[in-house]
Amino acid sequence: MAVVALLLAAAGLGAWEAYWRVAQQYEASYRNSDGQWAEVRRRVDAREPNATVFIGSSRTLFDIDLDVWKEETGVHGIQLALEGSNPLPVLSDIANDQDFRGLLVVGITPPLLFLPGMGVRAGVLEYYHDETPSQRIATQLSYPLETTFAYYNIDTKLFTVLARQPWWPSRPNLPFQQPEVRKIEHMRRDRQADLWERVETDPEFQAIVTGTWRTILENLPPPPPEEVARAQFQALLDQVAADVAKIRAHGGEVVFIRPPSSDVFREAERKITPRERVWQPIVDAAGAVGVHFEDDPALSDVRTPEWSHISAKDKARWTRALIGILQKRMAERGVHRPEIKS
Amino acid sequence: MLFNSLTFIVFFAVVLALHNAPLPWKVKKINLLVASCLFYAAWNPPFVILLWISTIVDWRVAKRIYAEQRLSRRRAWVAVSVLVNLGLLGYFKYGEFLLENWQLMMSAIGVAWTPPDWDIVLPVGISFYTFQTMAYSLDVYLRRAKPADSLLDFSLFVSFFPQLVAGPIVRPTQLIPQFQEPVRANANQLLWGLGLMTLGLFEKIVIADGALAPAADAVFGAAKPVPFFDAWLGTLAFAGQIFSDFAGYSTVAIGVALCLGFSLPDNFRFPYAAIGFSDFWRRWHISLSTWLRDYLYIPLGGNRKGWHRTQVNLMVTMLLGGLWHGAAWTFVVWGGLHGFYLGAERFFQRQFAGAKIASTFGFKVFLALLTYFLVNLTWVFFRAPDFATAWRMTRTMLGFGLEGSDLVLSAYLIEVVISVTVGILLVHGFMRNRRLEDVVASAPWWLVGCVWAAMLFFILIAQGSGDAFIYFQF
Repeated sequence: MAVVALLLAAAGLGAWEAYWRVAQQYEASYRNSDGQWAEVRRRVDAREPNATVFIGSSRTLFDIDLDVWKEETGVHGIQLALEGSNPLPVLSDIANDQDFRGLLVVGITPPLLFLPGMGVRAGVLEYYHDETPSQRIATQLSYPLETTFAYYNIDTKLFTVLARQPWWPSRPNLPFQQPEVRKIEHMRRDRQADLWERVETDPEFQAIVTGTWRTILENLPPPPPEEVARAQFQALLDQVAADVAKIRAHGGEVVFIRPPSSDVFREAERKITPRERVWQPIVDAAGAVGVHFEDDPALSDVRTPEWSHISAKDKARWTRALIGILQKRMAERGVHRPEIKS
Repeated sequence: MLFNSLTFIVFFAVVLALHNAPLPWKVKKINLLVASCLFYAAWNPPFVILLWISTIVDWRVAKRIYAEQRLSRRRAWVAVSVLVNLGLLGYFKYGEFLLENWQLMMSAIGVAWTPPDWDIVLPVGISFYTFQTMAYSLDVYLRRAKPADSLLDFSLFVSFFPQLVAGPIVRPTQLIPQFQEPVRANANQLLWGLGLMTLGLFEKIVIADGALAPAADAVFGAAKPVPFFDAWLGTLAFAGQIFSDFAGYSTVAIGVALCLGFSLPDNFRFPYAAIGFSDFWRRWHISLSTWLRDYLYIPLGGNRKGWHRTQVNLMVTMLLGGLWHGAAWTFVVWGGLHGFYLGAERFFQRQFAGAKIASTFGFKVFLALLTYFLVNLTWVFFRAPDFATAWRMTRTMLGFGLEGSDLVLSAYLIEVVISVTVGILLVHGFMRNRRLEDVVASAPWWLVGCVWAAMLFFILIAQGSGDAFIYFQF
């Protein structure tokens, strides 16, 4: 009986795996788990004094090519950007880390700075600090499964798949509920992430992704009253300034980047978080080098198939251009860092 | 270490292999003890020290109690056990709670006092193993058991990893004798053990975490009041979630022990088919309710000291039972409601004893549904993050909804909760007077195989979130 059960379960799993690989073009990929983030975060320590750490949202996660970065600067970057999340709590966390003395590259996606909490990956910092020995071992045990099974993906969990089926009726008068963001990345062990090829090659899937962005952008919560918003933003600027000062006091440096967006996304961001009211004050408050994609055609002349992330084919060129511009801007300000050979 | 983790799968495979290796029985017990310590240390290594404090204190205390004839000295030694175990529990679990309430009391009489920062991590399972070691000393004191002959057997009794962190709370007479002779699961026990592990993980990963938790979390975490229907659906979802989560854990624990050849007692017996609250507490968290009965309710006098004293004893037992679950007044209210229900049940039984309608099937179904309805009202206090939310939810569920409520549940969640809840009630109703072993034995082998395969398949594709079991926080 047990053998029958095992064989049937294995057959079912095989069919499930085949469905995701063949019909849905999924490939096995690292899951971008909290455990994987914690593993990369632990690299920020005294053993890598000249580390280059990237924090930000999914744009920083997908747009930076770690291999190109290493080729150009000699440094294997530490990728800590988190999809759908505000990077400023991570900035504070690194500012409080006495071991960090390298270069911190902070990617800014302006609307995400105003999330009520940290965002999609809100639990990651607590996980990192409280990770148990058992959880650490489980992360290591999970890796071979993640790189073998295409179905073993957050996007393909049974109840996630069930919830997004079109046959569920809509409930009248239900307030807006944040839509699920589909899998759009393929990730490596060091958290190098590429925009999934299917987003570019499958128009139907691309439409699902852009539809999700449009729904989110059309249903943003109303801003708080002007005086509240001003006070909150000032508090944000003060925190950024304090964190950057802490990092400099430890011997590190911080630069800010604004990765590209296009079409509906770019228009929405221009309207709700204009450059001169969000990006510029942050860079000024930090007294840091800031590189905005609109500053140079080399940074804006890229394909963003779903309006928000650079095509995997363009990220190498974009990363090289970014490094060159960062080196130049840092040299102009007299900021010389071995991490980026400026 | 969680049962629903890859780490546990590897850990258990190694433990099982060593347990079935041709080694002396004493070596196997040492292996189990080391494995149990590693199992516990996998959360937080320093907390193994607390486990050992509880173990050594009660080992020594029980020996002294057994050797001592003078009642006053016996009482003094048992007091040592109670004080050390409740002291550990009090410090780690209730320290912050006591300080907060002290501050509130001082503030109420106009004294401004700020407690020190008290950031204590709650050791996993402390409520369970302290009660287990206390029961050992109390049983020796009450001359219900002799002290264990071997420190190894006693240590293994305290720390036996299948039931260490969330029960079942085992009595010394149930487990220690099993360590005295070599045991190994035969083929049937291994099969049953693996089957129970599958069933438990299915309950936890698929039912509790996958199907029901999202609705419960959405309702109880809503920033605004929710309407009647959402409030009830969220509570029903939590009722199903906490049963599937906790019963799932117990089922895995029993299955793991069985794979090693050991027998742990049942902890749940289809409680949502209970008819009345005495029946409910004979079916829900049985090891805790019997512990409270034997070590609190009966020593207080039980039902031997008259009607009014019985009601008081019931209420005290249930209030403390509620407090055991967590350092918050909402848990005390939860316990108090159950105490009230038990008292009210006794009252109505006295008034209507012998009434013909009471023995009709229809009336029993009505009572079972009424019990389920009233239990759900108590779950609101158990789950709500604070009194304000609990009170708001209860009012809404009783039809006194608040203005400005917002829907929170999608049609998908509503349909899932309704389907799973009906499924749970039907299963509990069917199994009310049956045993799982008998039902499985009477079913065709191919059907059992298919159901087992389906559970395994759904566990694998649900993938799980690695969430801790709800009762780990107690």
